Amino acid sequence: MTMVGTTPPPRLPVRDRTSAGERSPGCVSPMLTRLAEERATGVLAREHGTLHLVEGRVVHAESPLAPGLGVLLTAHGALDAATWRDAEDSADEGRLLEHGVTPGALELAQVSALYDAAYFALAPSSTPGRFRYGAAHWLASLHPVPVADLERETLRRRALLRRIWPDPATDAAPLIRADPVAPPAVPPRQAAVLERVDGVRRAADIARELGRPAFHTLVHIRRLAAAGLVSSQPSPVADHPPDAADPYIALLKRVRDALEAL
Amino acid sequence: MPGIDECLLETMRLPGARGAALVDWTSGLALGTVGDPPGGDHETAAAEAAELARLAAEQHTFGPDDGAGAADPPVEDVILSNRDSYHVLRFVPTTFDSSVVLYLWLARADGNLALARIRLGEMAERLVLA
Repeated sequence: MTMVGTTPPPRLPVRDRTSAGERSPGCVSPMLTRLAEERATGVLAREHGTLHLVEGRVVHAESPLAPGLGVLLTAHGALDAATWRDAEDSADEGRLLEHGVTPGALELAQVSALYDAAYFALAPSSTPGRFRYGAAHWLASLHPVPVADLERETLRRRALLRRIWPDPATDAAPLIRADPVAPPAVPPRQAAVLERVDGVRRAADIARELGRPAFHTLVHIRRLAAAGLVSSQPSPVADHPPDAADPYIALLKRVRDALEAL
Repeated sequence: MPGIDECLLETMRLPGARGAALVDWTSGLALGTVGDPPGGDHETAAAEAAELARLAAEQHTFGPDDGAGAADPPVEDVILSNRDSYHVLRFVPTTFDSSVVLYLWLARADGNLALARIRLGEMAERLVLA
């Protein structure tokens, strides 16, 4: 038997995946890192939210996808809406403390809202961020957070969601209830979310209605999705095989979806 | 007028206190930490304590049985012991929607579990309810 020498096949063309994020792991936004280094004060506007900085530390964050501090405090009667508007208009946090909110509760709610909005503000975006140098936010003194801590926490949160249920489809789409044959017991805080799933509301809507941080709502929805109780509304063009109601086929489809999302 | 850091520093005045943290048990975020981290890393400790708190808070079995309606959270505290230390997690009641525990790591040799449990309850209330 003669050995036939063959030339090895040419290397497959591979996309260079050394993107900015992979070159410096742990860096969510190079611009934010630079602003932290130069101890900047002002507002960083990104596609999904804004971060307020004072001397390079994040003091406040807002995102259309996350309920703000005002919603968190007023939704369950910790504060009445008029008092919140009054404090916001006069940029005076003292007015919040005069009306039954303790400094501890205010700090707790503010840190919670800050990390929550920052999670969305730091999500990968398709447009570049813009920074405007300027004055400090009126809630700046409550609980400044170092940029490195915020970026590390944001990465940890992404990993947490992926670990619960790898398919991100339920984060942004309208949600529908699935009715499995033998539904598992749902803990009360998740049940409050499940009650509001109606084929129209998205995670952000449910968070606002419950006055609950949006990331908490994402966590609850991913757990519900993992339990097979909630899924994202399929786009109207998707075809529905007639046997979709068969529980075994529904289960197999969920397994397939989970494997594809890995 | 206590904030998060003052509350944690007060926790550390308990005899035998080795470390403490205020942890959000839905996200696993450490809202504040003080002292030594159990296991060597505050962030990991917070995430793991959050997981324990979540299991306790979400299981139907551990809620009260007096029929007085659902409390949020249904559990007051979780106490875990090992050869050389206690871990005490105290759920913090708030007037807004949150999921926070005060987490204390206590040396077994010089800690007083009963005292720590009572004081943690008081501190958790004072932090948010004036």
